[in-house]
Amino acid sequence: MLARRQWLFAMAALLPILAIFAWVRFYPIEETLRMSLHEWNLISKTRPFIGFANFQELFGDELFLTALFNTTVIAFGTLAITIPVGMGIAALINYRLGSRLAGVFETTTFIPYIVPLVPAAMAWKWIFDARLGPLNAFLSLFGISPLSWLFDPVLSVICVIVLCAWQAIGYAVLIYVVGFRNLPTNVFEAAKLDGASGLQAFWHVAVPLLRPITLYVSVVTLISGFNVYAQAYVLASDAQGAPGRQVRVLVLDMLENSFRNYRVGYAASEAVILLAIVLLLTLVQFSLLRERGAR
Amino acid sequence: MSREHKSERPAGITRTAIFGATLGVALLGSSVSVLADQITVWSGYPEMAPFYQHVAEGLKAQFPDLTVDVEAIGLRDHEKRVALGISSQNAADVIELATSSATRYMQEDLLQHPPADVASYVQDPANFDKYFSDAASYNGQVYGAPLFRGQSALYYNTDMFKAAGLTEPPKTMDDYTKYAAKLAQRDANGNLTVSGWSMRLSGGGQGIAEKFWINMFQYGGNIVVQQPDGKWKMTLATPEGHKNLAQYIQVVHGDKSDTIEAPADSDAFERGQTAMFIRESWVIGDIAKKAPDLKYATSTLPMGSIVSPVNLFVGSDQHSAEAWAFIKAATSPENQLWMLENVGWLPNRANLDYTEILKKTPQFAAFVQLPKDYKFFQLPNIGPADEFLTRVAAKLTDDFADASLLNNDAGIDAALKSASDDGAAVLDRAGILAK
Repeated sequence: MLARRQWLFAMAALLPILAIFAWVRFYPIEETLRMSLHEWNLISKTRPFIGFANFQELFGDELFLTALFNTTVIAFGTLAITIPVGMGIAALINYRLGSRLAGVFETTTFIPYIVPLVPAAMAWKWIFDARLGPLNAFLSLFGISPLSWLFDPVLSVICVIVLCAWQAIGYAVLIYVVGFRNLPTNVFEAAKLDGASGLQAFWHVAVPLLRPITLYVSVVTLISGFNVYAQAYVLASDAQGAPGRQVRVLVLDMLENSFRNYRVGYAASEAVILLAIVLLLTLVQFSLLRERGAR
Repeated sequence: MSREHKSERPAGITRTAIFGATLGVALLGSSVSVLADQITVWSGYPEMAPFYQHVAEGLKAQFPDLTVDVEAIGLRDHEKRVALGISSQNAADVIELATSSATRYMQEDLLQHPPADVASYVQDPANFDKYFSDAASYNGQVYGAPLFRGQSALYYNTDMFKAAGLTEPPKTMDDYTKYAAKLAQRDANGNLTVSGWSMRLSGGGQGIAEKFWINMFQYGGNIVVQQPDGKWKMTLATPEGHKNLAQYIQVVHGDKSDTIEAPADSDAFERGQTAMFIRESWVIGDIAKKAPDLKYATSTLPMGSIVSPVNLFVGSDQHSAEAWAFIKAATSPENQLWMLENVGWLPNRANLDYTEILKKTPQFAAFVQLPKDYKFFQLPNIGPADEFLTRVAAKLTDDFADASLLNNDAGIDAALKSASDDGAAVLDRAGILAK
């Protein structure tokens, strides 16, 4: 009886929170799913049901496929840079640098994560500038001809990856540093007694033990990579006098379809594809990186 | 002590409640009165903000307490907020919008109808030519008032022309290519330092297709043409389109008078990084502010120009009297001339006397003193105009960067057909493609 009353009380206490959560989380997702099956131009009073026609059209749409490809490359490119670099810097901070400097280095690497994105992207835009940018000036010291970083189809995607990774690494380092500090010291002592070098201990002991951290960082990085927008928009926008090659990404394509082309149902179907991809990849990451036997 | 304390608490609460309620009512009252005397203007051209403030100042005599909040942002973001604002019934009181973008809202009757006196004012040919009043109307219903228009001309740096031995602006499109080659400047390594002709080669949005269309029009062509049945036929993959794309490729990959990565547009012209480019009249106002010492002139284009009428509409019925008064003031002859002189956009008001302004700024002549046979075209007033142009632009951007198209007629035809097919798909989906 008491347990039932406690359960009812707990439910009553949780209900408002659950209601808010459902309203701000599940309702928009449900609306997006519903909208993806309809044709709606944002201002018309009718929204005819068209089944999976939006999805059928998507897979023949060159702009969408380009956006999907670019977004995937950017997300995995960012992941490929962020995880090893973040882990490496965190290891250096934890093992190689004096404790006084460790805090300074942690802060320094974390700053890009909290710097507002638009001014940071503008700074990177200058760095990548084909004529005046310091990157080309630096490369010229080695006899490398100036590159059109923001205009070449491949290089412009690389630029977006660099900017995304620059931001994500700070967060990854912070999480990895916490992970390193919580690793049990006895396993390293045992490895040392068994004759393992520092590098071997790092590779064969620390990296496997950090698997849960790697799982978390990779999921967060990949999801944020698939949601890339502002980085591409600012680096290659259509501002007068600063033309760039527009790196088409999924969120940009959705915005364009929603508010320039007035195809809200079509944009919703893109959002559903994005949701499915992120969910699938997250599940794959969990299955690959979750410790054996762990629930 | 305790009793006294208890007895005081209700009185304190009461006093606080009364004070709070009074303050709340006062604040609510003041905010309501502020809201009643404030209208918001949404513009997609940041350079227009001083003009709207100027109009607001002039309205003080009629509405002493009126505050005008001008929110002028970049065009693409402006179009997005208009879409969201109108669809959610949270639009500004006054909205500035090009006819090509406003058509879908007029079709759905989502913009406020003007009072009879304003409708008569707009339809009076003494105030506006029929072309412009029609551009602010749909199916005979007036929705807004004509404000300004985008119309293109050639801007050229007279010092650079002189240094290259050129004494007059180009007259034909062949001249443009030859001039660009002569005007291009390079460093010791052969890298382009000043482009001979800044073409719109990259970037986002429909601007690329619009600029391509302007050049194609000089060859007598159009990207799309309306048929007698009201539907639209793609005419991009035609001999005119071929000549036009071939010229782009020649300039970029043949003569290398312009490059994809070269600084472009008005900023480049103002900084002396390009010798000539085609743009609307607002650049004159921009140069006056940013590069007042620049030596430049303007010229009409070989065949004619684009005309993009921009109008003022009322997006909300809350302060419609003030909003329509603001719109009438903005389109008065005095304010229209002020706009031309201080901002640079071409007024749509009829029968204006430009004599004084032309004396001060002769560069406006290429926009208002036109040859008799000068032709005009406008973007199609169709719902999917933006999407159609964006799709074509996406293909053109790739084509401009494709060096293999140089002297490659078959490649150019294939590229144009591909872009044309993309545009046609958009029109077909909207049910307006002529078969």
